Amino acid sequence: MEEFKPTIVSFLCNWCSYTGADLAGTSRMKYAPNIRVIRVMCSGRVDPTFVLTAFKEGADGVLICGCHPGDCHYHEGNYKCLRRYHLLQKYIQQMGIHKDRLRLAWVSASEGKQFAELANEMTETVTALGPCEIKEVMETLA
Amino acid sequence: MEEKRIGVYVCWCGTNIAKMVDVEGVAEEVGKLPNVVVSKNYKYMCSDPGQDLIIKDIKEHNLNRVVVSACSPRIHELTFRKALTNAGLNPYMFEMANIREQVSWVHTDREDATRKAKSLVTAAVARVAWHEALDKRKVDINPASMIIGGGISGLTAALEIADAGKQVYLIEKEATLGGHTAHVDLTFPYMVPAAQILGPKIKRVENHPNIEVFKEAVIEEIFGYVGNFNADIKANGSESKSLEFGNIIVATGLKPFDPSSVDLHGYGKLPNVVTSIEFEKMLKAGKIETKDGKEPRNVAIIHCVGSRNNDYHEYCSRTCCMLGLKYANQVKTALPDTNVYEIYADMRSFGKGCEELYDATAKRKVMFLNFDQREGIPQITKADAGDCCEMLIELKERLSNTQIEVPADMVILLVGLEAREDAKEVAHHVGVSKCGNDFFIERHPKLDPVATTTDGVYIVGSCQGPKDITDSVAQARAASARVLATILQKSVEVEVTTAVVNEDICCGCQTCVNVCPYTAISFDDEKNVSVVNEVLCKGCGTCGSACPTGAIRSRHFTDQQILSQIVGLMTTEMQEV
Repeated sequence: MEEFKPTIVSFLCNWCSYTGADLAGTSRMKYAPNIRVIRVMCSGRVDPTFVLTAFKEGADGVLICGCHPGDCHYHEGNYKCLRRYHLLQKYIQQMGIHKDRLRLAWVSASEGKQFAELANEMTETVTALGPCEIKEVMETLA
Repeated sequence: MEEKRIGVYVCWCGTNIAKMVDVEGVAEEVGKLPNVVVSKNYKYMCSDPGQDLIIKDIKEHNLNRVVVSACSPRIHELTFRKALTNAGLNPYMFEMANIREQVSWVHTDREDATRKAKSLVTAAVARVAWHEALDKRKVDINPASMIIGGGISGLTAALEIADAGKQVYLIEKEATLGGHTAHVDLTFPYMVPAAQILGPKIKRVENHPNIEVFKEAVIEEIFGYVGNFNADIKANGSESKSLEFGNIIVATGLKPFDPSSVDLHGYGKLPNVVTSIEFEKMLKAGKIETKDGKEPRNVAIIHCVGSRNNDYHEYCSRTCCMLGLKYANQVKTALPDTNVYEIYADMRSFGKGCEELYDATAKRKVMFLNFDQREGIPQITKADAGDCCEMLIELKERLSNTQIEVPADMVILLVGLEAREDAKEVAHHVGVSKCGNDFFIERHPKLDPVATTTDGVYIVGSCQGPKDITDSVAQARAASARVLATILQKSVEVEVTTAVVNEDICCGCQTCVNVCPYTAISFDDEKNVSVVNEVLCKGCGTCGSACPTGAIRSRHFTDQQILSQIVGLMTTEMQEV
């Protein structure tokens, strides 16, 4: 069987995390190529539907990154995201998706290194878990 | 519905992208996607010929949507949006796929990188298909400006703008103007008294008809956006006052590093170990003397205290080397028989007249001793009764490679400079980001050094990073020019990526009213629906993700656009599996 290469859909806020991810690039840090980034203005924009759609479409993991608590460009969008994340965690587990497939992390504009490490960690975790539990079901339904 | 005609352009960025991503392959593959009319690759999309290529294609192929797959949208999104405008297309009919910062620069396997690039471009194509034309909103610019911080930078900016006939509100936290410069005796490298530079400025600011100064002032909150900010200011403990202004210049400065944590230097324990700030006071008072009132026979100046050291701050504080040279000269002038030792890690005397000052200092029989920070910093101990000095400084002298002891009656620590504790609060008030060291981040380090990512907010002087007076003044004047240029335009275009309520779907639950951080959403009791105030809305989109019925659209980040992007990302992935 071919080596399993997971796909991780990642939502990054424009002000901190996306800039942090860009910094990893400008600093030429290397990380695993499994993260696929979608830019949103604020982690507060990450609608639970986005996360569920990603899993439904075949993502093996979803990573949401926002500004550190207290640093949100929009004051408190990251807190809103945190609350939704906790609910989402319960929800995905009921669907049979392993909790480690969804992660919320804070990455600031200066944390390029942290973003690169996060991408590697997440890739490692999801690779170890194998293809997402609902993938097969979704494919059958499709 | 109009036919969607998308043009895709994959950039090589010279070899930056092309060496890690098969740009031709990506362009070819993406060209097969539905709605894609042309798909090309080109060496430098951001160059004039690159942009002309897009403009020509838009006209020739009647394109109504464009995707550029190149660097980060944070770098060139505006460039390409302008190209669309030039071709007669709405600038929002554009999407960028970041395959440089987030692909070619961070990955090492060409096949994986190419696969990822394809997936990102496919997602961008899927997203752009749902883009809609948005109009920019023109807003009038309030010609008044607020300047936060009354140090040399803030004063300079205030005068520059006020002299051009525009109103300035200068907000100072302390009871007096002048900032750190007010405590400086002579300035390097030309030994001009700081008071001579600062005094007339303060006087002019205090008496300027176009400048209103607020001392001991606290900013309660700043609302608004470029051209139309307003804030409540409480000054001198009096009632708060409401101010309206169109631009903000942040000139909040920095603070000296506290050397108490550097055990080996004995600051706080040995009475004659003083910081550069304390020594400057001595110079201003005109008396260089030890705590017990004696003239020091040996003065040692230790460089890089808290700077260029991973235990404290990794960065160079930029001003201390010259400060050290200035001190050596001042000591030598005041006390010609006193021995002066410059204990330095690296001598950084860049800038006009600075290397010359170094040279001149060396000729005054000042002893320069070099140490290697990686091998430890100088240790200061109290001398024995028999020694003919107060303290001994032990260090490994790098150039002679010997362990030596330096006698000292007074030690001056050239303390580093760091961000103020209230940097976070200020950043929050005005909406700027901070770097890892808590200094504010400029829009572009080389091309836009005084602007920030928030329109109408500029950063000058040391709040952006340690700086001397020369550089601070240059920045202050640069920002003033920017502010005056905006005021001259009388109006400015602002983004309209705000939220909007579909009244037909809104169920009146008011969830959005509660989650909005800007109180931009109110409830219309008569219609029983939520209403967005587009002037207050900053487009974070948190209401959009909270709305249970999908009545709220976050313009340019709609559910449809992002969901299509997700599906786009995954289609390539699923095909490849």
